[in-house]
Amino acid sequence: MAKKAKPSRTSRRPVWSGSITIGLVNVPVKLYAMIFDRSISFRFLHKVDNHPLKYERVCTKDGKVVPWEEVAKGYEVAKNEYVVFSKQELEASKPESDKRIRLDKFIDYFSVDPTYFNSFYILTPDNSNDAYNLLLVALQKMGKAGAGRITLRTKEYPVLVHAYQNSLVLTTLRYGYDVANPNSFEELKELKTPNKTELDLAVKIITDLSGEFDIEEYEDNYRRKIEELIEKKLKGETIVVEKPVEEEAKGLMVALRETLKQLEKK
Amino acid sequence: MNYNLTKVKFTNLEKILFPQLGITKAQLIEYYIRIAPRMLRILANRPIVLTRYPNGIDKGSFYEKDAPEGTPSWVATYKIHSETAHRDVNYVLCNDLDTLIWLANIAAIEIHIPLSTIETRDNPDFIFFDIDPEPPSTCEDAMTAGLYLKEKLDRLGLKSYVKTSGKKGLHILVPVVQEYTFKQTRAFVHKIGQQLAEEHENVVSEFSDTKKPGKIFVDYLQNAQGRTNVSPYSLRGVPEATVSTPIEWSDVKKRIKPAEFNIFTVPSLKKDPWKDIFEIKQKLDGK
Repeated sequence: MAKKAKPSRTSRRPVWSGSITIGLVNVPVKLYAMIFDRSISFRFLHKVDNHPLKYERVCTKDGKVVPWEEVAKGYEVAKNEYVVFSKQELEASKPESDKRIRLDKFIDYFSVDPTYFNSFYILTPDNSNDAYNLLLVALQKMGKAGAGRITLRTKEYPVLVHAYQNSLVLTTLRYGYDVANPNSFEELKELKTPNKTELDLAVKIITDLSGEFDIEEYEDNYRRKIEELIEKKLKGETIVVEKPVEEEAKGLMVALRETLKQLEKK
Repeated sequence: MNYNLTKVKFTNLEKILFPQLGITKAQLIEYYIRIAPRMLRILANRPIVLTRYPNGIDKGSFYEKDAPEGTPSWVATYKIHSETAHRDVNYVLCNDLDTLIWLANIAAIEIHIPLSTIETRDNPDFIFFDIDPEPPSTCEDAMTAGLYLKEKLDRLGLKSYVKTSGKKGLHILVPVVQEYTFKQTRAFVHKIGQQLAEEHENVVSEFSDTKKPGKIFVDYLQNAQGRTNVSPYSLRGVPEATVSTPIEWSDVKKRIKPAEFNIFTVPSLKKDPWKDIFEIKQKLDGK
């Protein structure tokens, strides 16, 4: 398997399209995914015959498969106690995307703690090259990011828009309550001040090891090993879902006919 | 091609299950198809236990009591509550050709059966002697002991049937009326074993004596509720692809080689030495 370079183009289809608005200024944009989970994924197979497995929704009461028409959503308020919602009820409460990214404040991008960064999207102009370019250059010049909000599918996010490698990038943020506070750990509250010699040594080690960070130096070794294995298996012992081989099945049919005749006689 | 002859959807027919002899799953299935007329009547209404070798006999096996996930709906099953496992176990009943073919297709190389049927689970229809030679004793020694046993059963007026275990041992079955408990049949088999042990130097009848080299163990413990033994005509998961094969007592006298009874030879055996086994119901207390 050829080693894949960084995906040059994200995907063909934008995840969202609308406009960035700053006061009265309007910049039509398209939004493309920037982050890809490229870890290896497997399908579950039935190891006896290598056929793919499928999931089914099974009722915990009688073990029977439940068709989608009979599926509702329940919010568990207490053990085994649910507030039930129909699809229509939930549909009605969904936030409506107004197709706008409203930026109402300009800040330093890294003044927002990275633990709040959720995901990243590339913004491209949507027949709006001039306006897009103006916003990009202005942000580059000021070194600022616009802060605002967006509704993606059914969820509203705080967002930042900043200049990154000659494009505008949208960063969706997590809400404050989505990120745990480390101070809630008792053992962290009990930490004492280290003594001076120890601290000096630690500082020296850190100074010695200080340098530039290059993400290209890192690789997912598990992924690489599995890719190598896939390559090997592709050359030799691939596992394919096989249809019965005609020739062999024919032999079985002859035996079957003879046996069925014998069983009939009895 | 007419696939309507069976409900089973064959998969991976060319998969090698016995690598030493290059035997494929297609050959395994063909064996069970050809042996079905003799085997099905024995399997009927007995909750079976499988030994499956999904990737061939060299790549590990597992015991399966429960009907496996993905068991087709047309396969008959029978629920028995397991006291030890504290749950119900759904056993497969192999009452028709399609089920047997399906078992072969899921690489259930070995099929094991209990000594009673679901109609009278507490009352066996066979008593069972397992003759197991401890090295350096050989299968020939097991046959000698088997003949002692036959003689003794003959003197008690009991007709006995013999099969190879597919390995080194011999299995001897006596069909009985379905009115004894396993406790009674077990005591009977144990008593006969003790008598043989007294009369013949190499024979032992107690499990504790089995580890002594050169002994031949007449095992009575198999006569118990829920115990299963390899079924007549079941293949064994061994490199030679032997079959636990019903044979004639005259074969035992000739000291035939158990390895001669295998996946290739057994389907073409002309005679069924156990033809009348279900027509005979015997009492253990003399005539």
